Amino acid sequence: MKLAPADYLILAIYFGFVLGIGWRLRKSVGSSGDFLTSGRSVPVWITSLAFLAANLGAQEVIGMSASGAKYGIMTAHFYWIGAVPAMLFVGIFMMPFYYGSRARSVPEYLKLRFDEKTRGLNAITFAVMTVFSSGISMYALGLLLELVLGWSFTSSVLLSAAIVLVYTFLGGLTSAIYNEVLQFFLIVLGFSPLAIMAVLKAGGWSGIQSRLPPVMTHSWQYMSSASQNPMGVDVFGMVAGLGFVLSFGYWCTDFLVVQRAMAADSMSAARRTPLIAAFPKMMMPFIVIVPGIAALALAKMSVGYALPLKAGGGYDYDQAFTTLMAQFYPSGMLGVGLTALMASFMSGMAGNVTAFNTVWTYDIYQSYIRKGAPDAHYLKVGRITTIVGTGLSIATAYVAQHYNNIMDILQLVFGFVNAPLFATFLLGMFWRRATGHGAFTGLLTGTGVAALTHGLTVAEHKGGWIAPLHQFPSTMAQNFYIAIFAWTSCFLVTILVSLLTTPRPPQQLQGLVYGLTKVPHDAGVSWYRKPAPVAVLVIAVLLALNIWFR
Amino acid sequence: MLDLRTSTGWFFSLLGVILLGLGVFSPELRASLTAVNVNLYCGMGMLAFGVVMLLIARKRS
Repeated sequence: MKLAPADYLILAIYFGFVLGIGWRLRKSVGSSGDFLTSGRSVPVWITSLAFLAANLGAQEVIGMSASGAKYGIMTAHFYWIGAVPAMLFVGIFMMPFYYGSRARSVPEYLKLRFDEKTRGLNAITFAVMTVFSSGISMYALGLLLELVLGWSFTSSVLLSAAIVLVYTFLGGLTSAIYNEVLQFFLIVLGFSPLAIMAVLKAGGWSGIQSRLPPVMTHSWQYMSSASQNPMGVDVFGMVAGLGFVLSFGYWCTDFLVVQRAMAADSMSAARRTPLIAAFPKMMMPFIVIVPGIAALALAKMSVGYALPLKAGGGYDYDQAFTTLMAQFYPSGMLGVGLTALMASFMSGMAGNVTAFNTVWTYDIYQSYIRKGAPDAHYLKVGRITTIVGTGLSIATAYVAQHYNNIMDILQLVFGFVNAPLFATFLLGMFWRRATGHGAFTGLLTGTGVAALTHGLTVAEHKGGWIAPLHQFPSTMAQNFYIAIFAWTSCFLVTILVSLLTTPRPPQQLQGLVYGLTKVPHDAGVSWYRKPAPVAVLVIAVLLALNIWFR
Repeated sequence: MLDLRTSTGWFFSLLGVILLGLGVFSPELRASLTAVNVNLYCGMGMLAFGVVMLLIARKRS
């Protein structure tokens, strides 16, 4: 891919706007609350799009189009069975407790609901994980730009990190959120022409269907057994593992996304944030997955498009998206596409940095290192944390470059830690009898069971380090089942230990648990400002999509 | 506080004008897989989006 001056101009204009937004917002930061939680004052349309964009990293765009080329429209399960139902759940059922408790972060909710040790466990693992995942995505971006444009790894990593650092340092969470919205629009407007042109070139959806095996264009039809589909996953593993445990665990408990909703200006806006975000989320497969499928169809036609091959043979699916871009976009639009790719990376990274900031400052520094300091002190700590967090991410990117294996192991361990989380939140929010000891032992057991499951099963030569008792058809299936076992064990142990320990008196749980929390009724507002009707509309569209692409 | 609609509006209008300019004055810029003047149409789309954003921002304030 070769860039012309016009492309660089577009990239420069984008950087200018992003930094400009940070500069303009610097005056709105007067307290640590403004910097770390946006002072709960952001309009709902902005929090909704930021909710979506914070998760929409460059890895997601590249990875989802690669999965599209590899597995076909089944990849859309990550959206239509995975993300969207979980987003509905967090908006309708969980946001009243997050927002209503006045907690400033997800770990702080755990402290209010359970106890200090549960918060500590969640805060520390979350802080470590956000830094690493931001570093890993930075590494992925550096590699991609090196491969596609020949830019040096160091300069692309440092440049993009510096820009994210400047605007989050200036305007805090508000600046990150505002820029995420700009990034969202750029991603949609920059990538959808590519999707449209690629599909048209491949003869429309029917043309793609005629050129690819039917398993690539049906999301449900080949799921009754794992051997029928290229993902190697069966219906139960998909629905329970991905649809329930992993997706609910991510969208309902990960502070990175929940933070965006918690920045909304009212309870109703906080609840509607994930619901409104669900509409564009449902459509994302058409922008990120479908081009991958179209790329595979184009590669089978003689139109002059070839999907690059890997050194060891087989298609290099990760290059599907960028090669399409290089061959459908002339200079000018190519600059926009590339800028959108950088934007998606920056939105993901800013999400990590701001979430890390808040958890470090409030849940670790203020709770364990220095209590009771004046607010100005925590604002300063928050700003310094922005720099430190970015620095640690850059360091991680370089570690990842040299020691790929360490990163794989870390990601595996993070998976073990995350898998049981949703059971803890579910019991915490809906069962007032659940206790802190129960939650803490449940989390540890869940993580242990996840590691044990991985040690006892094998998939694609991964796992089985204790004894290979069971063989999964794919690592994806293995991951889904690890999550199912971790969740179930955490759920059961939390209940068991809770019943054996003393519960907290109900008056201490006001605003934290179902049945002891007043959910405000939005009387007298039009229907689209109420959470429930919006959710019904989301479900209707979701069902239609699943049926259409069954 | 800063109105995000205005910033978004200006950003996409500017992008739209640049792409439209390229589409009109350098129509020979084509990608290998398509005969369409991509810059021209995408520029129109982005300019339209930007202007709509600016109009909404103006109406609300």
